[in-house]
Amino acid sequence: MPRDFPPRSFSARVPSLLFLACVLAALFFLVSTSQAQSQAAVTQAEEVPAQATDLVQPAPPPVTDLRAIDTPSDEGGSITVRWTEPANAEELGLTYQVLRSDKPDGGYAPVGQAGAGEQEFVDMGLTDGQAYYYKVRSVLGAGVAESEATRAAQAKGNWFRSYRLNALVLLVVFSSSVLYYITRARKAKPIYIRKIAGLDAVDEAVGRATEMGKKMFYIPGIMSVDEIQTIASLAILGHVAKLSATYNADLEVPNKDPLTFAAARETVKEAYLEAGRPDLYREEMVNYVTYDQFAYTASVTGKMVRERPATNFLIGSFYAESLLLAETGQSIGAIQISGTAEVAQLPFFVVACDYTLIGEELYAASAYLSREPILLGSIKGQDITKFLLIVALGLGVVLESIGIKFMSAAFRMK
Amino acid sequence: MNLERVMQVDRRIIYLFVAIGTILPIIFVIGLPVSITPPVQMAFDRIENELQTGDIVLMSFDYGPSSAPENAPMADAMLRHCFSKGIKVVVIALYPLGGLSEAVNELNKVTAEFPELKYGVDYVNLGYKDGAQAAMKKMAENIHEVFPTDVNGTPLDRLPIMKNIRTYRDMKLVVSLATGIIGEWWANLVNAQFGIPVIVGPTAVSAPKYYAYLEAKQMAGLLGGLKGASEYERLVVNRYPKLGEVYATPGLYTATKGMDVQSIVHLIMIAFIVLGNVVYFTTKRKPRKAS
Amino acid sequence: MKRQLPLLLTFLAGTIPIVAFFVPERHVGLVSTTLDSWLIIVAGFALLLGVVNVIQMNANKIHRRSSGWPYAIVLLLSLAIMGFFGFAGAFDMFGGIATRPDGSSTPFDWLYKFAFLPLQGTMFALLAFFMASASYRAFRARNVEATILLIAALLVMFGRIPFGEMVSKWFPLATEWIMGKPNMAAQRGIMIGAALGAASMALRIILGIERSYLGIGKGE
Repeated sequence: MPRDFPPRSFSARVPSLLFLACVLAALFFLVSTSQAQSQAAVTQAEEVPAQATDLVQPAPPPVTDLRAIDTPSDEGGSITVRWTEPANAEELGLTYQVLRSDKPDGGYAPVGQAGAGEQEFVDMGLTDGQAYYYKVRSVLGAGVAESEATRAAQAKGNWFRSYRLNALVLLVVFSSSVLYYITRARKAKPIYIRKIAGLDAVDEAVGRATEMGKKMFYIPGIMSVDEIQTIASLAILGHVAKLSATYNADLEVPNKDPLTFAAARETVKEAYLEAGRPDLYREEMVNYVTYDQFAYTASVTGKMVRERPATNFLIGSFYAESLLLAETGQSIGAIQISGTAEVAQLPFFVVACDYTLIGEELYAASAYLSREPILLGSIKGQDITKFLLIVALGLGVVLESIGIKFMSAAFRMK
Repeated sequence: MNLERVMQVDRRIIYLFVAIGTILPIIFVIGLPVSITPPVQMAFDRIENELQTGDIVLMSFDYGPSSAPENAPMADAMLRHCFSKGIKVVVIALYPLGGLSEAVNELNKVTAEFPELKYGVDYVNLGYKDGAQAAMKKMAENIHEVFPTDVNGTPLDRLPIMKNIRTYRDMKLVVSLATGIIGEWWANLVNAQFGIPVIVGPTAVSAPKYYAYLEAKQMAGLLGGLKGASEYERLVVNRYPKLGEVYATPGLYTATKGMDVQSIVHLIMIAFIVLGNVVYFTTKRKPRKAS
Repeated sequence: MKRQLPLLLTFLAGTIPIVAFFVPERHVGLVSTTLDSWLIIVAGFALLLGVVNVIQMNANKIHRRSSGWPYAIVLLLSLAIMGFFGFAGAFDMFGGIATRPDGSSTPFDWLYKFAFLPLQGTMFALLAFFMASASYRAFRARNVEATILLIAALLVMFGRIPFGEMVSKWFPLATEWIMGKPNMAAQRGIMIGAALGAASMALRIILGIERSYLGIGKGE
């Protein structure tokens, strides 16, 4: 494997990145047009002339172009019925009844209705593989007109949500970019990572608590481990606990979520073991408080005021309690390092803490602190995708401004 | 006066002013006017102009007692709006700590004002479900599986209102009164994946985040905190004057009354910030003169 | 094996929901929603672990008469009382946990209304006080950036209250503009960056590259 591919300098890489962006854009374009074509190419029943069934009341015009297809990109059990309504349907105030039967020539029963302006009905709860036939009845007062029946349609489960192709493309690009730089990092290419003041301050903060002979609080947010910020926080906790074991500082980790509590306990225990000081680890270091957000806040702020810790770490996912915790910590003069990706809470942390990890800095923390090359590699891969997104955003702004809608269509999530 | 001391003012003095600013307007109601902002107008218009009598709205109680002073007036105003217009409401609760109690209390309070409404026909309370995100996803397939019975244990098939409601497709709108992340899930998970319009009433603290979803058209309206609630109260009273009598009930807590407190406290905070800056500049200039 | 098994489970639990996001087929969806249900069950058991820890810790505290032990008594008593009426209510004793049909409170509901609710309200209301002191300290026109922040903050605070509109109708408009445009743009920037960071972290976890949270050593 040639080691200097791709070229080293960033400026030399810009053309290839732009090229990649263009390929992506072209791919999106192909996807969106092919989707449109596949929708147009559904089985069509022949057009039927108006069929008056009521002679007293003038019969409303029937719908045309009626067709029934398996609902695309679903798990099965559903058929989509589409039709074209008469031109003056909304003026007349037509309504439609959708009728279904399992044989083509009779036994039609209503399964749903639609109003003027609607030209689609999704029939659910069907048996996969069985043939169904549909008719649509236009209703105007007492006058009704039935369309001819559709051809047989069968429901079936699908294997791909075609409308999520754009997400899949992004996933593939993102994952390959991350994995590529991880592989490269394995070959010991040094990777640059900018300084993050909040993380540099971790050592100092632990040292301060040791010198003062006071406690350190580590609050891993209030969410469970299915929240990725909590996992990022646990990774930082591992580092803090190792330092705390090395310096013999007094660490306490109060928890709000029981799963986070269980995970935090393992993390701290392991960190003390790794630091070679399992004798210093005590069960009550990591403790459980309560599942209630504000009761938890009351307990932790109460402890802060009584025990006056030298250092507070507030890292993870926080909500309304963020300022209550941070401002109390500020009032007792603790050095505070905070970090969250909850944008609404960031201002509070910035105001009341000494250092704040903002958004992605939190996720970069484990790589930054451990300096593991492969973790750093993943951050570089993530940055490349971010760059591609910035290009796509810029391109999107230009294209939308001149009336070309394709970027917004390509990135639309259904 | 020692200006340095004003700079380092004891926070308890600030707290004292805030406390006075909070208590006095509760005792002596001022009744300050309410101006309407576009996000709230959008929410009101969605229900007023785009829904019809008999349509179904899903209202999710995603808050607990802590933020009830902000969220409950939103719930009340929106319930009153729906019931005045003949819209049917399906109530659920996804917030673990007190969401259900809030739903029961607010529904009891508001339905008492509309004696003509029948439980199970015009409105229903399906109760609380744990695992909000999983429940939201599952409701796109079948609500009856997520909530097999209502809050009283009655099977859904025995409730006339639920006969024709199986998924989000059978409802016209979701309203979430939210304190934490659940409101956001309605916007970025349910609206994005299943297309049903979503209105969220978050607490003022988390409101800024929702503007991103509002601008991205992932939300059909936004009631930001107490202010949003007071605006909605004003809008429903203007449109349905009968509700004016309800809102004039003495002793009834309303967002409009709460806004008096908030306005005064805002003014106190502005005053402190301005004072802090004036003192900051005065003390900053002094050493320069001296040197 | 002790290291491989958790990583394999992590890989499967992480990949299945991603596959289910793209594959609508019924069985795939079923596996994914089953995983969701398992999470709820696991969390339920973990809560039990939490309660046991609370009782142990506080009982120890009382036993050792360590600092603040009277608080531990209050905590355990509250836990016992609320827990008892909650459990009993679940088995339909004392009329359940909500109100009785005649509108009177069951014991659990009474505790909820007259203890839990006001305590919760109090904690949340403290925010107003803390916000006042934090903003007094933070909003100083120290430099250009801080001055812009200060002006934006004053505009938003003033525009959100009726006095703002009484002075000029431009205050509410300026507020909405600040919230809807610059605020939103910055928030989106942070959100996109954070989302990518979270995705990259998730990828590292699924592939077993990031293991620090498992307590089984970092890196390879």
